[in-house]
Amino acid sequence: MPAVGRTYWLTEPCRIRREDNSVRVERPDGSPVRIPITDIRDLVVFDHVDINTSALSLLSRNGVTVHILDHYGNHAGHFSPAESMSSAATVRRQVEISADDEQRLAISRSLVLATAENIRWALDTDLLDPALEALRNALPACRTNDAIMGQEGNFRRTAWAVLDSRLPPWLRMNGRTRRPPTNAGNAFISYLNALVYARLLTALRSTPLHPAIGFLHADTDRRRNTLALDLAEPFKPLFAERLLRRAASQKHLKESDFETDVGRASLSKNGRKKIAALVREELSTTVHHRGLKRQVSYEELMHLEALKVVRLCLEGTPYKPFRPWW
Amino acid sequence: MSPGPEPPAEDQTAVGGVHIKYLVHCPRQLWLYARGYRPEQRSDLVAFGEVVDDTTFTRRRDVDLGEAKIDWVTTGAVIHETKSSRAPAPGHTAQVRHYCLLLERRGVNVRGGVVHYPLIRRTTDVVWDDGARTEAEDTEAKAQTVIAASTAPDRLLRSKCRGCSYLDYCWGD
Repeated sequence: MPAVGRTYWLTEPCRIRREDNSVRVERPDGSPVRIPITDIRDLVVFDHVDINTSALSLLSRNGVTVHILDHYGNHAGHFSPAESMSSAATVRRQVEISADDEQRLAISRSLVLATAENIRWALDTDLLDPALEALRNALPACRTNDAIMGQEGNFRRTAWAVLDSRLPPWLRMNGRTRRPPTNAGNAFISYLNALVYARLLTALRSTPLHPAIGFLHADTDRRRNTLALDLAEPFKPLFAERLLRRAASQKHLKESDFETDVGRASLSKNGRKKIAALVREELSTTVHHRGLKRQVSYEELMHLEALKVVRLCLEGTPYKPFRPWW
Repeated sequence: MSPGPEPPAEDQTAVGGVHIKYLVHCPRQLWLYARGYRPEQRSDLVAFGEVVDDTTFTRRRDVDLGEAKIDWVTTGAVIHETKSSRAPAPGHTAQVRHYCLLLERRGVNVRGGVVHYPLIRRTTDVVWDDGARTEAEDTEAKAQTVIAASTAPDRLLRSKCRGCSYLDYCWGD
């Protein structure tokens, strides 16, 4: 079943108003756009947007999530409708599984391994094979999430070095930096990771799972939605690494799309728009799913990923993280 | 019929119309529905069914029994149900029979039921007699057994799952 509604990306400053039972988006150039509320599944906001409570309550009633991204493309927050998809049985099992060390570690390991394999797939190189082999051998011995994340970090560093070697000098990352990203390459990766995370959060919102009870990431530091972070991992290579490579090789991105300062970089307005269009296109790319016997978009793949975790909770079917099969 | 915004009651087994419809089609669907996993919101077909329900027989109003929502009831206690389907299915009549049973338990003298198919402009009558009553009670008992089971029933054949809003969940791996 295709999902009802679509994702709307607001890349320009605008004002969201309620008009009867429908949404009116007022743009600075004057022409308002009216969108039937049943056509919206969620809104991704990149820029300055005015919205008032009556619009929010309309969105909430129709189960629309609003994601807000800040200037650097980090996920700044979201507005989500009142819980309508709650299932105590699912959440109870989710808590049990994440509290049980054995099960949690098994899921963490498989997530990290799948992510690594997806990176190798995205970079399409055999330079990473030794690092992947080392990761495979090291993971079973890890008894804590920190150790697992450490192993992942080792692999990631190798992978980013390999990725750097295929980028033009101005786009190279020279080591991953966050909060704030120090150069163009890092700004791009941060931005896309935030987008993937926001998409996963939306996917989780349409399931009874609690987004804050996860398996791999530490849930102690910031108040983050750990499960969304976890499930975003295997999808990041599919978007961030892959699109960075593509944007570099197709000369789609220019240095002028970034605003670089000393020790920090972010996307310029045009760059943000360019990338939003790129990601939107990428999310609607479809592949044939053998089990469902139909084309599914990358966006739907994330939804299916969330459903796998629901199955794990309700029926105990082992969770196999996403691997591209095409 | 949609579950609507009523809170999912997971520890009590109040069997509603949707439960019966799902049981007849696929016990697994009922098991998941009863545990609160309800993806119907995302389904185009379910949304379509709601629109058909909203736009046909607009002078009638729902009868809300809490665990079940009957589309409407006419004098002599005939129970009516609208379906957006183009083919009568055993689940539809079972659902109406269940409504008859619920109303009878509330002391209403039920005469029978009608299922309306506005898209093909047909109706089917549902008789209500002793045979139907035992059948309805059996179905309800069966539903409660399925709901109480600790593991989910198996999937149907893939070809039977077409159009189901649980398809992504069952076959998405």
